[in-house]
Amino acid sequence: MSDTHEQSSGTPEPTGGAHEQSSGTAEATGGEPEQDSDAHGRTFDALRGQLREAAAAFAGGPDALEGILLGIVDDVDRAVREPLEIFPVCHHSPASALAMARRLREKRPKVVYLELCEDMAPLLTELRNCRLPVAVQAFASETDGFPAEWSPLSVVAPITEASAEYQAIAYALDTPGVELVLVDRSSDHVFQWDARGARGTGSAGPAGPAGADEPPAEEEAALHGDAVGVGIGDLRPRFAELEEHLLRHGRVRHWSEWWHQYVELPLGDGDHDTYRQVMLLIGSLFRRLAPGDPHRIRVDEDRERYMWTRMREHLAATGTDPADCLYVCGAFHAASRVDEFGVAGGGSFGIAPRTATRWQYGLIPSSHAAIEAQFGLAAGSVSIAATVWAKNLERTGVRPYRLAGQAGANTKRSGAGKAPAAPAPSAPSPDRLTGFLRRPPVLDRLDEAELLGWSVEIVRAARRNGYLASTADAIAVFETSILLAGMRDRAKPTPYDFQDAAVTCIEKDSVPGRRDVRRLVEIMMGGDRIGRVGYDALPPLARDVHDRLAPLGLKLQQRGVRRALLDMASRPELERCSDVLWMLRYLMPQGAARPIMGERKLGERPIQESWDLALGTHQRALIELGYEGVSVEQVLEQRLRRTAYDPRATAATVLEAVEDATLYLRSRRLADELGTHALQVLSAERSVDGAPEVLRRVRRLLAYYRTGEPTLPQWIESFVKAGYAHYCTLLPTAFTDDDATVRQVAAMLGFLFDMEGLALSLGCDRTQLELAVAQSHPEEPAKTAMLWAARTHLGHLSRADLRARCDELLGNPLTVHAYPRHLSGFLHALQPVPGLTDFVVEAVSNAFARLPDRVLLPWLPTLITTLRSGGAELAPLLIREAGRVFPGRLARLDAWVPPWRERPGPDEEAVLTARRPADGGRGVALLAARPATCDAVAALLGCDGPWETAGPSGPAGAALVGRYPAAAEAAEALLAAS
Amino acid sequence: MSDLLRAPAEIKYAEELDWLESIDDGPKPFSWRLSPKMVRLFILGSERADGLDRKVSQKWFGDRSFVERSIVTLASDRGLLLIGDPGTGKSWLAELLSAAICRNSTLVVQGTAGTTEDHIKYSWNVSMVIAKGQSRESMIPSPIMTAMEAGAIGRFEELTRSTSDVQDALISILSEKYISVPELGGDGDSDNIVFARPGFSVIATANSRDRGVNDLSSALKRRFNFVRIPVVTNKRSEAEIVRFRTEELLRRHRIELDVPPTLLDVLLQSFADLRASAAAAGSDDERLESALSTAEQIGVLEDAVLHSDFFGERALSARTLASSLVGSLARREPEDLAILNKYLHGVVEPRSKEEGGSWPEFLEGGRDAIATLS
Repeated sequence: MSDTHEQSSGTPEPTGGAHEQSSGTAEATGGEPEQDSDAHGRTFDALRGQLREAAAAFAGGPDALEGILLGIVDDVDRAVREPLEIFPVCHHSPASALAMARRLREKRPKVVYLELCEDMAPLLTELRNCRLPVAVQAFASETDGFPAEWSPLSVVAPITEASAEYQAIAYALDTPGVELVLVDRSSDHVFQWDARGARGTGSAGPAGPAGADEPPAEEEAALHGDAVGVGIGDLRPRFAELEEHLLRHGRVRHWSEWWHQYVELPLGDGDHDTYRQVMLLIGSLFRRLAPGDPHRIRVDEDRERYMWTRMREHLAATGTDPADCLYVCGAFHAASRVDEFGVAGGGSFGIAPRTATRWQYGLIPSSHAAIEAQFGLAAGSVSIAATVWAKNLERTGVRPYRLAGQAGANTKRSGAGKAPAAPAPSAPSPDRLTGFLRRPPVLDRLDEAELLGWSVEIVRAARRNGYLASTADAIAVFETSILLAGMRDRAKPTPYDFQDAAVTCIEKDSVPGRRDVRRLVEIMMGGDRIGRVGYDALPPLARDVHDRLAPLGLKLQQRGVRRALLDMASRPELERCSDVLWMLRYLMPQGAARPIMGERKLGERPIQESWDLALGTHQRALIELGYEGVSVEQVLEQRLRRTAYDPRATAATVLEAVEDATLYLRSRRLADELGTHALQVLSAERSVDGAPEVLRRVRRLLAYYRTGEPTLPQWIESFVKAGYAHYCTLLPTAFTDDDATVRQVAAMLGFLFDMEGLALSLGCDRTQLELAVAQSHPEEPAKTAMLWAARTHLGHLSRADLRARCDELLGNPLTVHAYPRHLSGFLHALQPVPGLTDFVVEAVSNAFARLPDRVLLPWLPTLITTLRSGGAELAPLLIREAGRVFPGRLARLDAWVPPWRERPGPDEEAVLTARRPADGGRGVALLAARPATCDAVAALLGCDGPWETAGPSGPAGAALVGRYPAAAEAAEALLAAS
Repeated sequence: MSDLLRAPAEIKYAEELDWLESIDDGPKPFSWRLSPKMVRLFILGSERADGLDRKVSQKWFGDRSFVERSIVTLASDRGLLLIGDPGTGKSWLAELLSAAICRNSTLVVQGTAGTTEDHIKYSWNVSMVIAKGQSRESMIPSPIMTAMEAGAIGRFEELTRSTSDVQDALISILSEKYISVPELGGDGDSDNIVFARPGFSVIATANSRDRGVNDLSSALKRRFNFVRIPVVTNKRSEAEIVRFRTEELLRRHRIELDVPPTLLDVLLQSFADLRASAAAAGSDDERLESALSTAEQIGVLEDAVLHSDFFGERALSARTLASSLVGSLARREPEDLAILNKYLHGVVEPRSKEEGGSWPEFLEGGRDAIATLS
C-alpha cells in the first residue's frame, strides 16, 4: 500500500508537461498514421490561441491562468486521441446515459471496460432479475487485515436505469460476443486505501452546501445502511469556493441543479464528439482547479493507475484491438495525468494483493433517496434525472439498452435485431469545444402545457395531503414559476424553480400532513423509486426463507407490512412457517417479523399465531443475513455459538443460548454442546451476579427436560452437580460480600434448595451445604434474616426460635429500626424457602401491629416498591397465605385472633379444652345452632347423648341461641345476602 | 441624513438606488422603481461578474432563494408574509424590499394587542368632522390606505400580535384591492371607495414564537405567500451579518473602534455553544430565555463596543464582551445565571485552557459579571 502512495506522490505534475506526454502517446501508438496525429495536434489550435489571448487579457500575461486553460485543452486533446476510446460519464446523468446508448449503437465495441469494483463482476448478470434501482454490495463481516472495529465492511454501488453504466452493462451482457470487464480496484482495496476519517464522505464527494434543504429523514434514505458508496463518474468541484461560485452565477441552489441546467440540458441533444469533449473539459477543469484533499487525490490517481494497468493486462491477454474497446469512466478520471494513462502508457503500478478478508457479494434494494443521501446529492435530484431520461428518450427517439427480463422492461426487445451499424471510421474528431463554449446558454422554450399540468397536479397533491390549496393556488404557482425563472435568467422554469414556486404559494406556517410541499413536488416529479431484488438474484438463504414461507400465501417480496394468520390446529404444515418466523424474529431487525399473537415458550406447542411481516421492506437485512450462511438455521446456530463462546459470556447468557437453541432450532445436539459450555463458564465464574438468572433458566430447562425427555441430558445433571458445589463454595462469601445483593443470595439458596434432591441423587453431599451455611456470618440485617430462614429450612432453627428472635428485635428499642430490613430478607427468603410463607405473613403483620410510626411509615414505600419490582412472583404467594389467615368478612374481624397469638401448646387438644371456658371456643356457637350435623354424626357413631345446655361458665346466651336458632339463621341469611 | 438617528433604507441608500434606477433596463412590473433583478441586486449586493461600474454592498444575508421568492411574490397578486424567529432579519428584509420597489419603507402598521381596524383602514379627524362634516379631507388614511393610493408597498409588522378581527380587515384589502368608506355616502360617485393603484402590495412579518396567540384565519393565509426565514446557523454568514450591522451601528454612533476578528469569533462561538445547549435542553428552565438570534449577538457586541468606548480604554476587550454577554442574556434571576455559569465553567474554562487566546480573559470577565449580578 505504501508503495502505491510513494509512486503517486512521485508523479510529475507540471501543467506544461502535458504537451510532451501527448506527443509521446501519439508516437507510441504507432498504429495511427503520422498525419492523423498531426491533424489531432492541430485540432484544438484555434481554441488554444483564443484561450491564450483570453488569459492574457484577464491576467495580463502568461501565468498560472494560461497554464490552467491550456492544460485543460491538452487534457481534452490527449484523451480524445487515445486509441482506446475513453467515454467520460457523470453519475446519474441522463445525458451521459443517452450519449452512451447512442455511442454503443454506433460503435458496437467488443470489449467494454467499466469503472466499477472488479470483484463485483459476477453479480451483474443478476441485475436482470431485479427492479432498479438496486445496489451491488460487497460485504465482509469477519475481517482479516483490517482493524476489527471497522467490521462489518460494506461497499455498495447503486445502479439506476438512467445511468450510463447501466446502458453499458445492458449492452455488454445482452449482446453476444461482447465482454464486460470491470477494472476498478476491488472492494478490498477500497478499504485498504481508506484513511479513516475520509470514510465519512466515501467517494461521495463533499457533502455540499445543502443550504436550506434538509435531506428527507425517511427510511428509504437509510436503505444502504452505513455502507461506503462507490459510484461511477463522481464529478463535482473539489473545493467549496468553486462550487459556491458556480452556484451563485448559475442562480441555482445546489450542485444537482447546476449540473442539470448547465450540462444536462445543453448536452442533451449534442453529438458524440461534443458530448465527449465537453465532459472531458469539465473533468479536467475540476481536476486542475481543485487541489482538494491530498489523500483523495492519491486514491484517485491510484485508481487510475489500477484501471489502466488492468486494461493493458486484459488487452495483452486477449489480443483485442484497442479500437474495438470502450472505456467507461468518470470524466474526472478521463482527464488523468498519471504515467500509466493510455494503452501505451508507461509506469509500472504494482497492484497490492487483497487482504485475507472473505468478501460476500449480493444485490440489495436501493432507492433514489438512498442514492441521494449516499452521494450528497440534492433531495429529488435522482428522481428528476430519471424523469429527464424518460423525456429525452421520447424526444430523441434513442432506443436504450435494457437487460432482457428486467422488471418493468418494455416488451419489445431493444438492442438486438437491427444490423449493427458499421463502426464509424476513426476520423479525427473535430474541435467541438470552441463552438460549444461560444454558444450562449441554451434557452429552453417555455412549455406552457407542461407547467400548467405540474401546477394543477401539485395543488391536487397538496389537497390530498391536507393543504387548503385551491385553483387560485394553481394559478399562483404557475405565475410564480415563470416569474422566478425570469429572475434566474431562464425562460423555462426548471423543476427546481417550480418547486420553489410551489413552496412559496402553497406552504403556510405549518405542515398539515406527513409531507411538506417540497417533498410533494419531489414525489410528483417522479418520486422516490425503491428497487427490489428479484427472487432469482437473492442469496440462497433468502430464497429458502421465501420458499418456506410460501404456504402463508402472502406476497412477502413486496414492501409493506403483511399480516399472517397461522392456524396450526387446522393446518399443521404451518408450524414450519412458524418456526421460520420465530428464527427471523430472532435474527432480523425489529419490525421485520413481529408476533402479534402467540409466543414461544419451552414445552409449549403453538396453536394459533398471527404475525406482522415486513420482509420486503427489510430486504437488505435478509440479504445480508444470506452472507452469513445458506439457511436461517445455520445462521442462528452461528449466532448462538458466537454469543455463547463470547469471552464476556456469563453462565446466564450461555443458558439463554441453550434455551434459544431448544426453542428455535429444537436442536438437542447444539443445546447439549452449549450446555456443556455453560458448565465450564459457571465453574470459572467468581461472582454471583447472574445467580437469579441462572436459577430461573435452569429451573425452566429442568422442568422442560423432566416433562419432555425420558432421561435428563447429561449436561444438565453435571450442571446441577457443579452448580451445587459452586454455590456452596460461594455462599459464605456472598453472605458477607457487600456487592452481592439479597436477591442474588436468595437465588443461590434457591438453586441449592431446589436442586438439592437432584444433586444429592447425583452424589453431592448435604454436609457441604450445611457447612456452608454454618460458615456464613452476615452482618446486614436482610442477609441475617435470610440466613435464619435458610437455617429453619435446614432444620437448624425451629419456628419458635425464629419467632422469638423476631419478637426480640421488635421488643428492643435499639434494634427495632432494623426490623424492616430483616423483613425484606424474609420476603426474599420466600423464594428458596416457600414454606415460610405463613411466617412471613405473621412477621409483616407484626410489623404493622408493633412497629412505631416513625419506623413504619418511612419503610412502607420501600416495602411496596420492593414487592412490586422484586416480588412479582412472591406477592401472589403472600396474598394467598394472607387470605387464608385473615378473616374474610368484616364482622369476623372483631372475634378474630391471629393464629400466631393462639400459642398452641404441645398438647393442642388439652389447650383447646382448657381454653374453652375462657373464650367459649370458636365455632361453638355454630355447633349449637346447627345440632343436626352433630346429631347425625353421633347417630352414625352410635352415640346417643343429649345436648347439654351451656353451663354458667359458658358464654352468656349460648343456650338461648341453641333454643332459638331462628335469629341466628336470619342473621346468617342477611350476611350471605350482603 | 446626518440629523436622523436611524434613516430608513430609502434615505440611507438613496444615492445607490438612484444609480441603480438609472442603469436599470429590465422590465418593471406595475409602478415599480426597479426591475426584480435590480431589487435582488440591491438587497444581495453585486459581484464582479455582474459587470457594474460600482460595487453594491450586500444588505441582507441569507439564502438567495428567500429574496427571490419574496420579490416574485410582490410582483404577483398576493401579499408577502415573512415568518421566522425574532431577530432573523424579517423586518430588515421588508424594509429593503419596500425601499427598493417603491422608495418608501415607512408605510408601516405595527401590530399590537391594541391595534384596531382604524389603524389598517382609516380614522377621522374629529374636530374637522365637527366643523365640516365627513369628507375626504377630514379622513385620516392609515399607512396601508396611503400605500394603496400611492401604489406602494404597505408594511404590517408583527401581524400575529393583533387580534383576529383586525387581521381579517386585511382580507378585503388583499383580494378586492379597495377600501370602501361608507361614511362618505354612496350616491353614485365613487368618492366613497379608495382603490389601490397598481404596485400596491403588503409585506407582513410574523413571529413564529407567537404562533397560537392570534392564529391567522385560513382566508387570510390564502392571500399571503409565506416565506420562512430561518435562524442563521452558518457561522460564516453569521459573522458577515454581525460585522455588517456592527459597522453600521458604529458609524451611526460615530465611534472609531476596531472589533478584532478574534473577539468576533469568540462571540460567534459562544452563541453557537449556547444554541447547541438550548437545543439539547429538556425544559424551559434549562434554556436561556433569549432566542439567541443574530440580532441578539449584534446587541451584545454593540453594548460591549459602546461600553468600551465611553467607559473603557477605547478598545474592545474580551472582558467587556463577556460582561456584556452576561448582562444581555441573563434575564431571569436564578435560571439564566445558572445556565451562563454552567456554560462558563463547563465549556469556556476547558477551552481557555486548551486554546488560550482571548478565551481566558473572556472567562474572567464572565465570572466577574455573574458575581456582580448574583
